[in-house]
Amino acid sequence: MSDQATHIIPGQSAVSRLSELATSGLTTAVVVAVLIFLPLLLGGSWTFTLGLCFANSIGVLAVSLLVRYGGEVSIGHTFFTALGAYSVGVLDTRYGISLWASVPLALLLGVVFGLLFAWPSRNLHGIYLAVTTLALALAVPEMINNFDVLTGGYEGLYVATPFIPGVEMGLQRYYVALFMLVIVCLAVARLRLSRQGMALLLAKAHPAAADAFGTRRVWARVSIMGISGGIGAICGATLAFSGSTVSPGGFTFWQAIFLLVGSVVSFYGLSLTRVLIGGAFVTLVPQLLSASGAWIPVLYGLALLGMILLGHYMPRIRNAMNRKAEAN
Amino acid sequence: MSFWDSLLYDLFPLIWSGMITGCLYALGALGLVMIFKCSKVVNFSHGNVAGLTAFLVYGLSSGMLMSLSWGAAVLVALLAAVAIAFLIYSIISPLVFESDLTSTIATLGFGLIAQGVTLLTFGADIVALDLPIPRFAFSVLGLLITGYDLTVLAVAVVTIGALFIIIDYTKLGIAFRAISENPFAAEVCGLNLRSVHYFAWITAAILGVVGALLIVPTTFLSVTTVATFMLQAFAAAVIGGFASLPGALVGGVLVGVLMNLFTFYVSPEFSSTFLLAVILVALNIFPNGILQKVGGSRV
Repeated sequence: MSDQATHIIPGQSAVSRLSELATSGLTTAVVVAVLIFLPLLLGGSWTFTLGLCFANSIGVLAVSLLVRYGGEVSIGHTFFTALGAYSVGVLDTRYGISLWASVPLALLLGVVFGLLFAWPSRNLHGIYLAVTTLALALAVPEMINNFDVLTGGYEGLYVATPFIPGVEMGLQRYYVALFMLVIVCLAVARLRLSRQGMALLLAKAHPAAADAFGTRRVWARVSIMGISGGIGAICGATLAFSGSTVSPGGFTFWQAIFLLVGSVVSFYGLSLTRVLIGGAFVTLVPQLLSASGAWIPVLYGLALLGMILLGHYMPRIRNAMNRKAEAN
Repeated sequence: MSFWDSLLYDLFPLIWSGMITGCLYALGALGLVMIFKCSKVVNFSHGNVAGLTAFLVYGLSSGMLMSLSWGAAVLVALLAAVAIAFLIYSIISPLVFESDLTSTIATLGFGLIAQGVTLLTFGADIVALDLPIPRFAFSVLGLLITGYDLTVLAVAVVTIGALFIIIDYTKLGIAFRAISENPFAAEVCGLNLRSVHYFAWITAAILGVVGALLIVPTTFLSVTTVATFMLQAFAAAVIGGFASLPGALVGGVLVGVLMNLFTFYVSPEFSSTFLLAVILVALNIFPNGILQKVGGSRV
């Protein structure tokens, strides 16, 4: 799909974008500082929920990254989160190995499978990848349930091995998630400045120019899916550790759509504050609406549409108002 | 001898019933392709909207909402489908000309709303919705052919035939082809893109309702039935090459037969995984669909 989803806020000059980058660093630092001290004020259930928010934020980031750098939509990132979560769950329950070993494994698996699924659609429009990921999302619960020797089937697995021995588990589940989120956000910010990131953006925005500079399009398409898959797997690993259980219920087709909705709600933002908004939406809305289950799809649908239409009409309204202000 | 027996008693009936369901997947896939061909939007709400209308037929004919005759209920459902398609396209049409990716995600939002509305109105229960057709069956060359099979075949042939005639011979059909070929040139020639888009969306909605009503008797109707059915339609469209109408037809029949053989000979528990594998293999071998000639990659 040739696309401008990233230009959801058009009419932004380069200068204002730069100044935004500069302030976002400060805002991010303040947000992180607040989040570090938050468990001192809040009760245990809130720290638990916030931990899940951080984990889901990483997933939202993975989906947004794919849109921003690849111009592609994934409706199946639960595959990668399931991959990461079960890496942690299986290593933990079967072998008692903690995150030290399972997170790198999750990352590796995520990258490999991301490359694998992007490869067939390397030369095609993004819709093919979208449909493939849709099939992926529907296949995930089935695979988990049928490989129950490894995954524990419906019952799932319980993650209990501490990351740092001796520290209270409730706090670990919070701080490890926060740490992972910050690390991933920093890595994505680095990607933006790296040669790799520039090449990816060039291949997306100006394919012909990218060809002229020797950036291979196939390589760009496939590699961004690898990176996104790896981040998706880290989301799953964090989700497993912070949520303490891994079961098929967490990786349904719905969950995959929720991640995409979260990404749209955060306007495909890649900064820490933006993805936190998306992650919080994905985590908190089902909790608030848990009593009236049928309203969840309606609300998510409306949120999705609302944000998209807002993204479409806001810049126009703002431009019209600016013009009026200039005329006066 | 037993090999031939099993071939006769298992394989051919499996292929036959696979082809029948395949025709229905093709109806779903044709709707998706119609919309994609002219507006470049992948309509992820297709299955859920069709499911909602199937439930509407159930609600109107069973006495849950009203007790109309089956035909009247279908008519109301078709009108509802047309109205919903009209509404959806009207809301997203400003997005369609801006970004196909954004509008594709927007259709996902409508799918969620349709599913939620179905849940809120009709509940999460499973219901049975049959077709008012005479029950009979006869066997030809060892194949058991039922009244249902013939109905599906007849409806599919008539619907698809009518669609191809409209596209080949009517003014609207010519406009549709012109716009799918080159929207810019078509607009320069004075065609109204929006009205042709409306035509595609409404036709797709009608195809979706027909497909949903015909597939439901083979299973039960629940909130997810038709959406699952549409996944096979997506697979069919991918295999056929998302922009080809005859491809959607062939892809539908192919998916129907393959799925039937797989669930019988291997395992019904891995059907979504198998479908995923089919999509991945098809994309690798036929990147532009099975009916497309091999050529340079088009990006």
